[in-house]
Amino acid sequence: MKIFRLILAFLFIFSFTLAEAGFEMSGYLKNEVSMGLQTFNDVSKIKNIFSLSGEYVINDNWAAFMSVRGWYDNVYDVRDKYDPAQHYMGHTQRIDWLRDCYLDYMNGPWFLRLGRQQVAWGQSDGIPILDRVNPFDLTEYWLQDFVDMRIPLWMANINYAPTLNSNLQLLIIPEFEQSTAAPPDAPFAFRSYRLFDEFLTNWYGGVDIPGLTPPAFRGDIFTNIYYHSKDLKNSKIGVQWKDRFADWDYTLNYLWGYDYAARTYLDRIDYVTLPFPPFPDVPENFHYSRRFKLVHLVGGSLNHTFTEEGPLNGITMRSDLAFYLNEPTYFGDVTAGSSAGVKRWNNIFWLIGLDKYVAANWQVSFQFAQYIMQHKSPGGVSPTSGRPYQTMNAYTYGAQDRVENIFSVKVMTDFMHDRLKPEILWSATDDNQGRISPKVTYEIKDNLWLTVGVHHFYGREEDSNGQFRDMSQFYTHLKFTF
Amino acid sequence: MKKIVLVVLALTLCAGTCLAVELEYFQVYKPKSGMSADEIMQIKYFVKYTKFAHDAEFAGKAYYIDKSGSIRERGTMRRRINLGRKSDGLAYKDIILFTSPVQVKGLGILTWTYLDPKRDTEQWMWIPSLKKIRKTSQAEADDAFMGADFTTEEITTRKFEDETYKLAGEENFKGYTSVYTKKTYYEGAPVFVIEARPKRANWYYSKRVCYIDKETGGDIFDEIYDANGKLFRTLFRAYEIYKVDGKDYPAQTIIEGQDLRSGHSTAITNDKIAFDQGFSEDMFTERALAQSRW
Repeated sequence: MKIFRLILAFLFIFSFTLAEAGFEMSGYLKNEVSMGLQTFNDVSKIKNIFSLSGEYVINDNWAAFMSVRGWYDNVYDVRDKYDPAQHYMGHTQRIDWLRDCYLDYMNGPWFLRLGRQQVAWGQSDGIPILDRVNPFDLTEYWLQDFVDMRIPLWMANINYAPTLNSNLQLLIIPEFEQSTAAPPDAPFAFRSYRLFDEFLTNWYGGVDIPGLTPPAFRGDIFTNIYYHSKDLKNSKIGVQWKDRFADWDYTLNYLWGYDYAARTYLDRIDYVTLPFPPFPDVPENFHYSRRFKLVHLVGGSLNHTFTEEGPLNGITMRSDLAFYLNEPTYFGDVTAGSSAGVKRWNNIFWLIGLDKYVAANWQVSFQFAQYIMQHKSPGGVSPTSGRPYQTMNAYTYGAQDRVENIFSVKVMTDFMHDRLKPEILWSATDDNQGRISPKVTYEIKDNLWLTVGVHHFYGREEDSNGQFRDMSQFYTHLKFTF
Repeated sequence: MKKIVLVVLALTLCAGTCLAVELEYFQVYKPKSGMSADEIMQIKYFVKYTKFAHDAEFAGKAYYIDKSGSIRERGTMRRRINLGRKSDGLAYKDIILFTSPVQVKGLGILTWTYLDPKRDTEQWMWIPSLKKIRKTSQAEADDAFMGADFTTEEITTRKFEDETYKLAGEENFKGYTSVYTKKTYYEGAPVFVIEARPKRANWYYSKRVCYIDKETGGDIFDEIYDANGKLFRTLFRAYEIYKVDGKDYPAQTIIEGQDLRSGHSTAITNDKIAFDQGFSEDMFTERALAQSRW
């Protein structure tokens, strides 16, 4: 069925090329291979991607754009250990094949983009502070390009420019998709998912009673996911005001709607009282639910290039600030590796970035960000371990500091007349965990590009990057464009 | 009589100085014999940045040609609106879009250039792999422009005030044979020869010898010398006259840089050129850049 859709989309686009001169089409074939840094035979990706895009400029006011993408990852055929994740990670999922499908209308101060699309807010690079309009595909952690990570949504993107450099944007997003993450057996499965899966697999309820095999009884774990109704009233709403004040560009942003990441709640535990002493009541059944919560994002961004002579000349300053109101925040006993619940807090995420070209064609980009939770402690004590609860990292179920300091440094340059482009990114937090990612892109021909690189993860297992410390990898991307 | 000669001389010098300071936008100027090096170079910059037109559009390709003759291509489309506006100090706004190859297709750069020669440009970049706009710093002036055999300042940021000039003479140009088109251009064309030296100390060149076409005022050929006085690069530009509302607009049709040390060269051909199409300034905003579909 999916192949049929792809062929149909291709024919749809191709038909325009025959019919109209205002049509433009391009695409690419790409192969991505990743293998472990410690052991080269630990291949974790052999992905082949096909993408096709077409633009049809109808007239000065109207234009249409469509982009489709399909992929297949052979690693799920050849590596037994990833078998259980093949159904989800082995090929294009659901409507993921349709990346863009929209109609543009331009008339004076009005600009409307209607259809399936992605919208990016904010000035940060690689840290989504305001970039929360679309959900994310995190099946490969944060390693893909953002254009591939954002999950496009059907929406109305309405823009009006009251003055030359200002713009008022209204987004109405009736479609809801949740952010996706890798299933427990995939290479980049989050630790929290793996722990929960282990719990689901291993829980048998109650206790062993000597002499009784199998165990005295078997409990169950019930999980439900609750989606809100698809009414128009549940649409996500976004508003952005963009303007310029004294050579500073700024935006004011507001986003309201259901968070794209479901949070897991433990709703109930059924206990059983064994009919003979000395066994007390023991947990038998766990009832979990996953729910999406309404959150508000209020924030803004600022950027400025120091163009005047002086010590700051040539520096571009970028900044994002967001208040996440009522953000669901996990808490629990971090040693148990599972959350005890969710607090609704007002958290803050802000960033400052500085970019500058130094020594001809060397560009250095530095970012510092802080994620600040409303409270230091969620309060309460674990009834099983007696330890005080801590706030938890949603990806790992590791302990989360109240103030998380994050920084990144990126250095880029080019050689051989823009043909060879080395780049290195180091992103880390104050918990001594992070990622170092050097890469080199080489243009073999106009339509053939090769990228080789490394992702080196380090840190503790409970940290965002540290959870993948055994997944450090060497990778190649070969892209043929047409 | 002596007094009259002195007054005329003073007026001529004053006119020359005024001309060297400021030329009026949207006028066509041509260099003439008897003008100073400064006056000629003032006109050369006027022509280079198409300040004679209200707006300009260039579509074409950049060719990167290595020593072995293998060629890589980039398609570009460039639009400019000239403002010369004192109220906010804006000289002109540019938008460059990459149209090919697919790997860079959609990359767009919006640049605002100010009248103040000491002020850097402001730049915004549409990055297709992020689908968002990033404000960026102006590239270093001695960085290769788009990886080509000419620097950023040679194509976009160099201003009249950045150098000192000396008129070395007038002659008929020896001609230039293009690496890319293999054709010979401007053979025997009358030119002014001007020696330009950078005001900046320890810069990537010590001087350049510019050949200014008397017909168009365009700088058709530069010989660029390194710190040791050795010729290391040449830069050629071809101009054609476009008739727009009865006025003669000189337009750059080819730019070709040759690195004499590496044997690499870059040619930019402007295959489609149009002036005064009535562009409005809102085509040169962040908002317009964000409407990119690629």
